[in-house]
Amino acid sequence: MEIGPILRALTRNKLGVVLIALQIAFTMTVMVNAVFIINERSKAMARPSGLDEPNMFYLRSTGFGDQFNSEVTEQDDLDLLRNTPGIIDATPINAIPVSGGGSSTALRLEDDPTLPAIPAAVYYTDDHALNTMDLNLIAGENFTSNDVLYQRTSESRNFGKAVVSQTLAETLFPGEGLNAVGRTFYNGDNPVQIAGIIERLQSPWPNSSFVEQAMIVPLNFISGTSTYLIRTEPGERDRLMVETEETLASNNPNRIIRDLMSMNETREESYRLDSAMATILSVVIVTLVFITSMGIVGLAVFGINRRRKQIGTRRALGATQGEILRYFMLENFFISGVGVTLGAVFTIGFSIMLSSLFESPTMSWYYTPLGMVILILIGQIAVLGPSTRAARIQPAIATRSI
Amino acid sequence: MLDMKNIRKVFRTDMVETCALDDFSLTVDQGEFVTITGPSGCGKTTFLNIAGLLETHTSGQYQLDGVDVTDLGDYARAKLRNQKIGFIFQSFNLMPDLNLFDNIDVPLRYRGMKGAERKERIDKALDSVGLFARRKHVPAQLSGGQQQRVAIARALVGDPLFLLADEPTGNLDSNTAQGVMALLEEINEAGTTIIMVTHDQSLAEQSKRNIHILDGRISNESERKIDTAATAA
Repeated sequence: MEIGPILRALTRNKLGVVLIALQIAFTMTVMVNAVFIINERSKAMARPSGLDEPNMFYLRSTGFGDQFNSEVTEQDDLDLLRNTPGIIDATPINAIPVSGGGSSTALRLEDDPTLPAIPAAVYYTDDHALNTMDLNLIAGENFTSNDVLYQRTSESRNFGKAVVSQTLAETLFPGEGLNAVGRTFYNGDNPVQIAGIIERLQSPWPNSSFVEQAMIVPLNFISGTSTYLIRTEPGERDRLMVETEETLASNNPNRIIRDLMSMNETREESYRLDSAMATILSVVIVTLVFITSMGIVGLAVFGINRRRKQIGTRRALGATQGEILRYFMLENFFISGVGVTLGAVFTIGFSIMLSSLFESPTMSWYYTPLGMVILILIGQIAVLGPSTRAARIQPAIATRSI
Repeated sequence: MLDMKNIRKVFRTDMVETCALDDFSLTVDQGEFVTITGPSGCGKTTFLNIAGLLETHTSGQYQLDGVDVTDLGDYARAKLRNQKIGFIFQSFNLMPDLNLFDNIDVPLRYRGMKGAERKERIDKALDSVGLFARRKHVPAQLSGGQQQRVAIARALVGDPLFLLADEPTGNLDSNTAQGVMALLEEINEAGTTIIMVTHDQSLAEQSKRNIHILDGRISNESERKIDTAATAA
């Protein structure tokens, strides 16, 4: 192995080596941090909301005119929906999980506003919510229809019971697990008892710090607008979306039906920025890696063309084609090695900076070594073609005078 | 040692076919100092390339140290070059990025020799051409004559069966050329066979045997009787 001579020769041609090593280092810094961000976003996008999303949709009914009675209309609508073949259940709700808009509240273990508050998303709904959303109740019980309160939006939000997500229960009462059922917490100065615990329910805000802390409460606000969340039998959603909109609209002419949307569309809409960011970062990565690969190829081709006679001389002195190939692969390995070592320092530094600036999660340790290996491999693949051509240079070139 | 019979070398392009060597037969024995002369384009370099296994011949038979090299593959030819042949080039062909030690080390590394033995051989070779003290210098820091001496050290370091020299004094002034020639004669007297291509008739006359090529064929061959008493004086 010609490690010593290659390294000594490289130190005599510093500029090209330093430039390409810096390019590799810069590419690695951007690539590794971008991959980390994409992975984090992908993981967030893949988190289950707890709902049977593929079979769910929702719509809003907004009444107008003096003849519109929202309480009666809502009850008529829900009766109709729940008795429609193909619809499993329907529930009135103030906000849609993962949709980006909803209500949150600050919870405390005591009626003392000086105590630290635990944030939670709150869904105002009725006793059909669990079945409509297909939530998995793992402890306690659901509300009954008798528990459901009907209030005007201007009235105080005083509900006595809540079904909470497992994460919220654990945050409120650490270590108690499912035994948190029956415990009391405070919403403002109103005591709330945990009636049940559901395995998972996400808040309406996918990027919030308390995305898994959510609860449903038996409180139905009476206003001019009702939002209905509906679950259908598998395969029936698309048909029922069209039919439901038409039926509800024709049932009562004093209102409009709007915002008809499936849960899948809602998820897609909510994560649109994340998807776009992942796409843009992927393009940046591919572009940077391509440019760096071209840089490596360019440097290798330039180096080989500059040293054609040297290669011929090496062949004349007894180098086999394999030894010439190995020489240039090794040379690139060392250049890439300098690049990825610098890149590792830059990557970690940049990651710490991003983490402190945007309070984002810290990058896992294995990203950096993995990035180093990948860029070394990319370098080796990039230089394989030029090195193979170098190995084919005929030894007779050594005796040519030009 | 080197035995060529009816060697023919044809270069073909889409338009032209050129016969560089035709019916070329030559035998060189151990210890000889043979010069190859001839006008430009007569086939000297083609002969040197074929003799040095740098390129293949079109037809004929070539035996090197008893081995028929006609059908040898690229790998076997590389190994044979490394073990049997020392090359001296007109432009020295030193690696500009390597110091003298590393330059002379090149053929030994391809032989897979251990580090300690390589160092011993390189030091000895550098010493034999009077450049041991400058072993850490790069070629650009040496004169042309010194660079050619490094090239000679590199050719000798592997104890080759013979040296193939391609116009070794072509890029040197006459004084330096004489110095290099004297060094080659010294090497030959120590027992190393030398085949030297040159266009310089005066240098050719210093060798024991001169082959003159014309149009790819041997046109004339002469041997010089060495006056040992005069040489000693």
